Amino acid sequence: MIAGRAAKPAESRLRAGLPAPRRAVLALILLGAALTAQTIPYQRPVDEAPQEKTIGGGYRTPAVQKTLPRSSWLQVLDVVVLAAAMGVSSWLVLKRRNRRALVALAAGSVAYFGFYREGCVCPIGSIQNVAVALTDPRASIPIVVIATFFLPLVMAVFFGRAFCGGVCALGALQELVLVKPLQVPRRLDRALGWLKYVYLALALVFVLRPAATRDFVICRFDPFVGFFRRTGAPHMLLIGGAFLAAGMFIGRPYCRYLCPYGGLLAWCARLAPRGVTITPDKELDCGLCTGACPYGAIEKMRAVRRNCLYCARCYAACPRDGELAHARAQLVKLS
Amino acid sequence: MSDRFSRRDLLHTAARGTVLATLGGGAGFLVKKAHGQVVWQVDSARCLNSRLGEVGVAACNLCTTECVVALSAVRAVNDHARCGRCNICPAYFNITSAVDERGLPSEKLCPRDAITRRPIGKADPEDPANNFYEYLIDEEKCDGCGKCVMQCKEPLGLGSIVLRIRYDRCVDCNRCSISRACPKDAFVRVPAGQALP
Repeated sequence: MIAGRAAKPAESRLRAGLPAPRRAVLALILLGAALTAQTIPYQRPVDEAPQEKTIGGGYRTPAVQKTLPRSSWLQVLDVVVLAAAMGVSSWLVLKRRNRRALVALAAGSVAYFGFYREGCVCPIGSIQNVAVALTDPRASIPIVVIATFFLPLVMAVFFGRAFCGGVCALGALQELVLVKPLQVPRRLDRALGWLKYVYLALALVFVLRPAATRDFVICRFDPFVGFFRRTGAPHMLLIGGAFLAAGMFIGRPYCRYLCPYGGLLAWCARLAPRGVTITPDKELDCGLCTGACPYGAIEKMRAVRRNCLYCARCYAACPRDGELAHARAQLVKLS
Repeated sequence: MSDRFSRRDLLHTAARGTVLATLGGGAGFLVKKAHGQVVWQVDSARCLNSRLGEVGVAACNLCTTECVVALSAVRAVNDHARCGRCNICPAYFNITSAVDERGLPSEKLCPRDAITRRPIGKADPEDPANNFYEYLIDEEKCDGCGKCVMQCKEPLGLGSIVLRIRYDRCVDCNRCSISRACPKDAFVRVPAGQALP
């Protein structure tokens, strides 16, 4: 506006002495100036700011404080740690059959993916990003998120739910608090197991809405991320606490009944050629492992790939575990 | 018996192949449109400007109260090259407070006392108080309330104090609560390369 007012007298002064075409050009320029002046009502020019030579005294302008985003090689490191942890998890469970080492791995995962990375990015939440990126042409997705989503699924196709065992921070945390496992009645367990598919469908419904109304339900109602961040909405901390309290007796309630990614992993794990093997020979049918499995994943003396969460409790309960771990006994392929 | 097992194995292998191909296809499609990294960004030029009569309060404060991490991931920084280095800086002093014996406002603006200043350059022999000042914001104290940012906005200030995200604190939530609360669409997610400096 100020620029516009200043321009008017100049225009009238110039108009008298100029030929018509030049006048038209000038009018156009002035019109342009007036238009821009209207969109920017007032601006104090930044070059009014005193600079080094105005200030004098050998003053040097300090750099602007900056915190850069996590460097890309550290993000790649997250993916490498994820892949390596899944490799270690399957090696410990399938080859070494060692629960103690698996608990150590779980503690490490809680520390790294949980407390250090503060629960982000996790494959469970990445379902939403992948769904959005697949359907919304304008949505962008980082490569790290793509890897985080697909790696555990590919792993599950070959080795079962190695991710769930000691790698997933949410799972590992629940694994660590499960001190006195109770068996959930099989029917109830099956019925509740469907909840995770309902939750998955709901999450997709909420996230596949137009960008303005999109809601990331899985992240919003993540029960444990508040602990990892040591802050959060009181009701979510309360729900997380309730999950952990229940998880002391009921094996991994979130993983078995709510985790939508667990649902995807279960479908992939059905196809796995490798997995936890119990009942190494026909004459030893003691069933101690069935009683030791807190997740109802051992049916008719066989570990069910889609439900097995790679906790290795069955080995710990097995009287012949030591022999198997050191390959003194031969496993017989049964299923 | 062995025939049945092998058929089952074959079916499993086929199913496995299909699932792997689907996963691979999905991943390939996504990788083609992927960005290296996306980051949240706050553009204080777009946020509420109480100087232009947009709010009745001094600052909207949502960047402080909405962030999910304990000390907000938003903080104010001073872009020194744009700073007017004023003696009576409206972002440093509460310019509505009473004037003290030095002729300066008696109160500071920052509720957490995060802004410090020091005189710089040649001292004026006539009036030693009439200096240029360098204003520094203590990163650890600032909680991103934006009061100083508001005061430094046009038309009074030069807009050198801006809000930026500290990426060491930001946990990059999918559903950033600040962005959802922001009344002016100033909080957006952009590919890292396109973020404000």
